Amino acid sequence: MKTSDILICISRLLFPFILLYGFYIIINGHLTPGGGFQGGAILATAILISYFIYPEKIRDLNLLIKLEKYVFMVILIIASISLFTKGEIFTSFISIEKSNSFKSLFLIILNLFIGIKVSTGLILIFSTFIEEGK
Amino acid sequence: MIKKVILIVMLIAIIFIFSNVALKSVENIDSDSKDYYLTNTYNDTGSKNIVTGIYLDYRLFDSIFEASILIISVSGIIYMSKKDDEVL
Repeated sequence: MKTSDILICISRLLFPFILLYGFYIIINGHLTPGGGFQGGAILATAILISYFIYPEKIRDLNLLIKLEKYVFMVILIIASISLFTKGEIFTSFISIEKSNSFKSLFLIILNLFIGIKVSTGLILIFSTFIEEGK
Repeated sequence: MIKKVILIVMLIAIIFIFSNVALKSVENIDSDSKDYYLTNTYNDTGSKNIVTGIYLDYRLFDSIFEASILIISVSGIIYMSKKDDEVL
């Protein structure tokens, strides 16, 4: 795959800003439009840009597969903690009498893990396609 | 020939039923759940964005399965793309 030098140069410039914007969308998911799924998709685009920058680099997909599985298990565990604190499964584990800013902690944690999981899933999909086409 | 006639009759019936439902449902719209979420979401979940409050607190059960759809599709793609002697 041959790409132009201008595209590679601009991609190197844009790469950290796209990562930063993706994490911003994920962390502020409970305040502004966005959330785990949307921010994870933006993070996956940042990794897609790194295929322009280093086309010859060999990437280890086994690590990503393991990461996605374990993060999904962590999401299940975090969602099930409320069974012990509230008696209901799949809600927030923080009591409803606490202050609003403390209750948003649950949303931030779950948004972060969902973002990691979605981004690794999308990275795996297109990197398997790219590895096939080589 | 008979199959085509039956298909056309079925399509006309579906269009008739759906347009009927869509025209009549305007009078029956209920705003109870909308009002509930607008007034209570910030105090229940601590989320200023109501969408996040719904999909991470009220409807977390659906959200978990939405996340599992992606893991299933990824495992399907990896299974179809791997070579015979290669074990991932």
